[in-house]
Amino acid sequence: MTPEVIGGFGQIVGSVFSGLSARKARREAEKEKKRLTKKLNRLEANRQEIINPYEGIQDLSSMISNPFANLSVATGAAEIQIEQADISLANTLDTMRATGASAGGATALAQAALQSKKGVAASIESQEKANEDKRAQGQQFMERRAVAEAERLQNADVSGREFVYSEQEKREQQQLDRTASLIGMAEAARAQATADQTSAISGGIGNLGTFAGSAFGKPKK
Amino acid sequence: MENKNLSKNLYLRQFNESNAIAYSEAFVSNTSDYNFQLLDNAYRNAGKIYAKLKIAVETNKCSSEHCSVELTQLKQLEEAPKVSLDFLSSLIAELSVTDEANFDLNNDYRYTVANSLMNGKPGYSKTDGYSAYLDLLPDGSQQIVFVGPAFPIPLIINSAALNSLVTSDTSLIASTPDINAEMLRLLTEVGVFAADAVNENGELKSGAKITEEFVVMNADGSVDYEIIDIGNGKGRNVLKYDMDKIEKKVTPFINAEVAGLMSSEQDAIAAWNVYISKGTSVEEDAQMAQDANAGSSSWSYEEDLPLQQDKKVLFETKYKEYFMNNYLKQFTTNQFPTVKEDAAVFDLEEAKKAQAQKFLKDNDLN
Repeated sequence: MTPEVIGGFGQIVGSVFSGLSARKARREAEKEKKRLTKKLNRLEANRQEIINPYEGIQDLSSMISNPFANLSVATGAAEIQIEQADISLANTLDTMRATGASAGGATALAQAALQSKKGVAASIESQEKANEDKRAQGQQFMERRAVAEAERLQNADVSGREFVYSEQEKREQQQLDRTASLIGMAEAARAQATADQTSAISGGIGNLGTFAGSAFGKPKK
Repeated sequence: MENKNLSKNLYLRQFNESNAIAYSEAFVSNTSDYNFQLLDNAYRNAGKIYAKLKIAVETNKCSSEHCSVELTQLKQLEEAPKVSLDFLSSLIAELSVTDEANFDLNNDYRYTVANSLMNGKPGYSKTDGYSAYLDLLPDGSQQIVFVGPAFPIPLIINSAALNSLVTSDTSLIASTPDINAEMLRLLTEVGVFAADAVNENGELKSGAKITEEFVVMNADGSVDYEIIDIGNGKGRNVLKYDMDKIEKKVTPFINAEVAGLMSSEQDAIAAWNVYISKGTSVEEDAQMAQDANAGSSSWSYEEDLPLQQDKKVLFETKYKEYFMNNYLKQFTTNQFPTVKEDAAVFDLEEAKKAQAQKFLKDNDLN
């Protein structure tokens, strides 16, 4: 801008320019404030929702079962015992008949055979029971471990979510704080620029008094 | 369809920057008259009018009842110099946008001419056929009129209209945002760098790296490197980044930045036309090549404002791409490991063999 273009006194042209930079600064500060306010609003609108870290927790009671509920009664051994005793008795009787032994001897033999089979059956039953107990104990151990593992995983999941949330929250809050602080700075810049502009215009008005007085044929001092 | 503003603004800018006028025989051999004398001419008769009005009021010879019209005109004349000062100051500030390095050439070219005239640039003098007038209007507002060869019809700007625009945070001419500064600041805000990677001025420190949280790891917790061939049979490890995770992280912050930019849609159009549409970098734009700007895909200030939702969505998408490609990519490409041993140069052939061996071992194929 040259004084010739505007005309008037050089001081007036000068005041146009001194007001110019303040005006631009004010406009920029206003724009910046508006921009930051919009940005802050968007950041606030898009903040992550508050999560419930326990939301995913499941009722683990269904995983717990009574390992003894399915224990079988050792009836098989008893049936074998009876069956084998019957067979043994039948065989002995056949032998007795063939050899012409007395009825009393046959009875005694049959009782002996019966006692013998009772012992075998008792042994089988004892083994079966022991095996069953072991299976139950194993099952119980496995289930305890499974529940513990599930609890561990869930605790890890909860802690993880809490961590992610707090980290995200921390970063978002930093960003919100920073943007809000920048808005404050933009407002301060705007206020300062407005004051500068007012000061420049006031200075110009003094000069314009002279100019206007001259133009209106009544110079002012 | 020819974009008149684009071609004329480009011509004007090239003319102003080319120094061609120094080689114009006609210009060099003649004087140029820049005495537009806006204020002198505007107030030439103001003194007489003021005096007549003042006498009419003081002698009670007004044409209106209770001298209401005369008193209003006197008040307007008394306030006129301040209005002139404010108007010219505001106008010059607005027109100065056309001098900015990243000025969007899609703005109305007549403002570029008006700015050249107001600044007394060579080629825009009275001698060249240009003229400008400041008029004091009966309603108390003022208008400036520009005429000359580059104005098919006079360009008229009213003080009250300009003041109204400025008050409502609207500019006569769109100023292109400083995308480079915005993007550099955004880098520090998107949450992929550690807080200690940012200096006290809010800028990324040199050597800043994206945090390990975004580095691709193997199942055993070791870093999953990518091997690059650096020639002569040698190779180096570089970090691989989980780009999906990074994108998910940065998107809300980019969207917030765009929302801020959209607080002035005319500035957003300027950013679109100059940088975002074609993804041109600040360096490319500085070359001032016409095709480095949006060109035919430009958005028009006259036709595209207010921006429709589809354009806003497109802007957001392209803005993100611009950020990812021109600013973030350098931090995800060819990043060497922080572990010294892993960062060493190695024999590519041996590395491939070792990799094959590891694969066989891991998959129990030996």
